[in-house]
Amino acid sequence: MTDTDKKIEGHAYDGIEELDNGLPSWWINGFYLTILFAGLYFGYYMLGSGPALVDEYNTSRETHEQAIATKKSARPVASEEQLAASLKDPGKVKLGASVYASKCIACHGDRGQGGIGPNLTDEYWIHGGNLTQIMKTVSEGVLDKGMPPWGAVLTADELPAVVAFVNSLIGTKPTAAKAPQGVRAKE
Amino acid sequence: MLHDEQKMETFSYDDAIVRKFVLATMVWAGVAFLVGLIAALQLADWRFNFNLPWLTFGRLRPLHTNAAIFAFGGNAIFAGMYYSTQRLLKTRMASDAMSRFHFWGWQAIIVSAALTLPFGITIGKEYAELEWPIALAINIVWVVFGVNFFKTIAQRRERHLYVAIWFYIATIITVALLHVVNTIQIPVSLWKSYPIYAGVQDALVQWWYGHNAVAFFLTTPFLGLMYYFLPKAADKPVYSYRLSIIHFWALVFIYIWAGPHHLLYTALPEWAQTLGMIFSIMLWAPSWGGMVNGLLTLRGAWHRVGKEPVLKFFVAGLTFYGMATLEGPLLAIKSVSSLAHYTDWIIAHVHGGTLGWNGFITFGMIYWLVPRLWKTKLYSESLANVHFWTGFTGIIIYMISMWSAGITQGLMWRAVDSTGRLMYPDFIETVLRIAPLYWVRAAGGALYLVSFLIMAYNITKTIASAPKNVKADVFQAPRLAPSSNQNLGDKPHRILEGLPIVFTVLTLLAVAVGTVIEFVPTLWATDYVNTGSSIKPYTGLQLHGRDLYVREGCYLCHSQMIRPILSETLRYGDYSRAEESMYDRPFQWGSKRTGPDLARVGGKYPDLWHFRHMMNPRDVVNGSLMPSYPWIFRDKIDFAVIPKKIAVMKFLGTPYNEQELALAEATARAEAQAVAASLSAQGATGKLEDKEIVALIAYLQRLGQDYKKGGVK
Repeated sequence: MTDTDKKIEGHAYDGIEELDNGLPSWWINGFYLTILFAGLYFGYYMLGSGPALVDEYNTSRETHEQAIATKKSARPVASEEQLAASLKDPGKVKLGASVYASKCIACHGDRGQGGIGPNLTDEYWIHGGNLTQIMKTVSEGVLDKGMPPWGAVLTADELPAVVAFVNSLIGTKPTAAKAPQGVRAKE
Repeated sequence: MLHDEQKMETFSYDDAIVRKFVLATMVWAGVAFLVGLIAALQLADWRFNFNLPWLTFGRLRPLHTNAAIFAFGGNAIFAGMYYSTQRLLKTRMASDAMSRFHFWGWQAIIVSAALTLPFGITIGKEYAELEWPIALAINIVWVVFGVNFFKTIAQRRERHLYVAIWFYIATIITVALLHVVNTIQIPVSLWKSYPIYAGVQDALVQWWYGHNAVAFFLTTPFLGLMYYFLPKAADKPVYSYRLSIIHFWALVFIYIWAGPHHLLYTALPEWAQTLGMIFSIMLWAPSWGGMVNGLLTLRGAWHRVGKEPVLKFFVAGLTFYGMATLEGPLLAIKSVSSLAHYTDWIIAHVHGGTLGWNGFITFGMIYWLVPRLWKTKLYSESLANVHFWTGFTGIIIYMISMWSAGITQGLMWRAVDSTGRLMYPDFIETVLRIAPLYWVRAAGGALYLVSFLIMAYNITKTIASAPKNVKADVFQAPRLAPSSNQNLGDKPHRILEGLPIVFTVLTLLAVAVGTVIEFVPTLWATDYVNTGSSIKPYTGLQLHGRDLYVREGCYLCHSQMIRPILSETLRYGDYSRAEESMYDRPFQWGSKRTGPDLARVGGKYPDLWHFRHMMNPRDVVNGSLMPSYPWIFRDKIDFAVIPKKIAVMKFLGTPYNEQELALAEATARAEAQAVAASLSAQGATGKLEDKEIVALIAYLQRLGQDYKKGGVK
């Protein structure tokens, strides 16, 4: 690009004149390049064999689900005994308390007294009071009643820990507790 | 032949109208920036919502955007256009009365926006929020403006149209087209209407409008202003006439296609998304053409840029324009959009454009214009320099904070650990991480407002020092001889510049091509919406609740569009399908996630959770930034309007039967009773069955339910 800087005759508008310079070469070549890219992109993804966004998503979803399935089969579901063992581990209960404070308080109250969700401190359970049953409720949720599934949210450590903490609440008799719901757990 | 050309005519320019628009620009700039600062503070701390309905973020944000774009930006471009058009065409505006009608009509529209938006009167589509009577008034005022402008061209004393005028022509016809098409709606009452488009079609039309409002309201007119005021202020010839031609036509033709880049990864058909993306990429060079031509015009004047505030504002403004128009194509690339969309990165992007480009070009123009319009000297050059540096610092702080916030949050949303679990499954975690940056942003915005107040002081002092009763200058120019193609020039484009009608028609064609190709298949083909699905129309109460959702501007912080991206479906559920919003007027896909997506929120929480959440979000979500909505627990549902709403929806094609219409009010009351009973059973107190909260909960609990029932083929 060489600028002639020659004023174009007859081009004067309220004193504004115009020069006869050409297009900067980097500019026009850049423009051509984007047009080329656009053509290639459209050709590959719309006319050619390029994957659709949904195809790409389905692939990533399948990979993800296979990975989860492998992990699940490698890690058996905790038994009643294993969960019972974690009740005696103060570290677990403490971890459970912090999970409870961030995820459960909103519906079950700061002391487990209940609110939007049921009271957790009495001996009545709507979806079963065994440790494995509580674990299932926490992990899979009860969508009809508004209990979200926490299995995909909490880590493998946090899940049994929060069950242990919930278990520790039983019998604490907080004030302003919600009336019992469900059936009394067999002792 | 010469004697005819030589016949001199005497005329003066209507500068009174320019002075009016300049003053209006200053007033509305203050309002727009102040409301923006309040909105920024509301995102930093929810208490700035003051629990007042009319001051809540969801109602204030449209006021901010409308004030910034249409009140501040609008008055600025009108000021510059009226000043430059008369001089470039060597004629007074065709009709002073029409100019005044335009001025007062526009101010009345702005005032009515300020009187309706805070009260929740909104269509619920971004930058097109103004309800139908105001939307209609905009069309009328715009047409009067256009007629006056084209009549002025018809009586010009300059044979050829200068490049600034080309940009003004593109602005006037395209804005008219965009606004008319996007605001076709059927009224339910004086202050409520439903768009004729629904769901995916509404989304396409809206973002065709929304994107090109940026193109033809914030870009082309400002480029026109730049082409007049920059060479005038620098006293230099325009660098390249050829570049003007190429980048003008490329810009006008390509811009219109780019709208769907706002809808990447959504339920919009993918071919339309791809067109939006590739045309956005091709837009980079045409956009930069304007910046390059402007900056190269300053060759030989650079030593003055350090001293003269006007040139300083123009250089910085053009540079911000260059940054924004490089960032735009980048953001329009699908994979970049997957990270940036719904985050504050977009907020950084638009503010670089508005504060940097539109703001600084306007300020430079006003500093140049005011001494000339009032025939005096600028009160203080050094204050103008202080304005520049304060404002510049404000923009930089604003942009860096929002870039950081956007990229941080985008990365947190998509983070998945080795076990396939979201690393930040609680949305609030990602909000709390960036919340401090909202304070930094507010500081940047405050600085920009302060810089503007310095300008306001400077301009006030300047005008105060002006002589009273300034007489308009008188000019002389020969009348144009009747034109023939021979005396227009020898090059095709030069001839075209002498033929305004042909020029205008070609411009209209340039914007029509992309419009038609993207619209027609989507508007008339049903292939893209699976009508045999389980998606059913809303009940009357849900529909009313949906209108409350629109009224409170929930869509400004919550999307209803889950993208086919793994981290997104892990967080929110299966990705959204086009048919899910087939009865949605307006569509509520949203464009920003200050809070989580709500497309599948129905049934996720108990009614009581929503009840407590709307009363005070912090009761159920620790640290939430969302405002509280105490008034929807007091205000009563207007049951009587529900049959009218159903009737309009039925007219627009929603399959309600006659019985549903006839029983609409009674059905809605019964439905409200049921929701209220459920809330009471869960422990809520008070007489609830006639309160708005019940309708809102009914709507929120419906979201995504039909799809979950599994009927989508």
